[in-house]
Amino acid sequence: MPKARIRNQIRRLRFDHGEMTQQQLADLVGCTRQTIIVLEKERYVPSLSLAFEIARVFQCNIEDVFTYANEPERDGSS
Amino acid sequence: MTTFWIGFAALGGTLMVIAIARFIRSLVPQSGMRDVPMTALETLGWVGMAVSGFVAAGLGVLVAVVGVTDFQEKDSVRFIFWLMLIAGIGVWAAAWIALRRRGSEVVADERDRVILARSFSVESMVVLLSLVTWTVVLTEAFWDDGTVPLAYLQLLFWTTLIGGAMGRSLGIVLGYRREIDTDA
Repeated sequence: MPKARIRNQIRRLRFDHGEMTQQQLADLVGCTRQTIIVLEKERYVPSLSLAFEIARVFQCNIEDVFTYANEPERDGSS
Repeated sequence: MTTFWIGFAALGGTLMVIAIARFIRSLVPQSGMRDVPMTALETLGWVGMAVSGFVAAGLGVLVAVVGVTDFQEKDSVRFIFWLMLIAGIGVWAAAWIALRRRGSEVVADERDRVILARSFSVESMVVLLSLVTWTVVLTEAFWDDGTVPLAYLQLLFWTTLIGGAMGRSLGIVLGYRREIDTDA
């Protein structure tokens, strides 16, 4: 069974919105800068409320920020 | 029969070495997590480990120097232990106050709360291990006597309490070295 990964465009959206810093985004959504860092590294899957907050800050839909992608199985079978 | 017990001890020792090696390896951050700066909670976790380690080492030295019976009966020895305990709690509390005053930065967000919740599992394991070890040791040591001196029960309590605190802090530190996949 392929492993689902949550990918995001947070880093690109930050730069597109006046080169917002990680700290500025963290202050706007109510989390720590470290959480923004691990989100951008895709090492942390946010809660639904945090995901919606981030989308609200960037004034876009949540699907424009986060994508749910199934990774293919390593043995090539699908 | 002797061969069986030697083999059993060798197997147990090997498993212990493997467990300790895996534990030491787990302290190394996963790739992608190495350059993430520490949060307030992670800093507090390290402080907690240092404080509980200090108190545990101090308790060990006291018991080794004066013996278990004198640890319970001598007021001066207990006073030294209480001082260490209070000093340790004071250092931890001072660190907590200093971290909360770092500014407008959020002190603990959802990721911190997930890591904090998961740290209970490490704490539980340490407490369980401590209780099992003490039960086996005290049962074997005092089986013929039929009773366990009060001083050992006090030691059981303090070591389990300190071990639990250290386990909790360790769980927090380890939690920041792992990615969190809530889909898993």
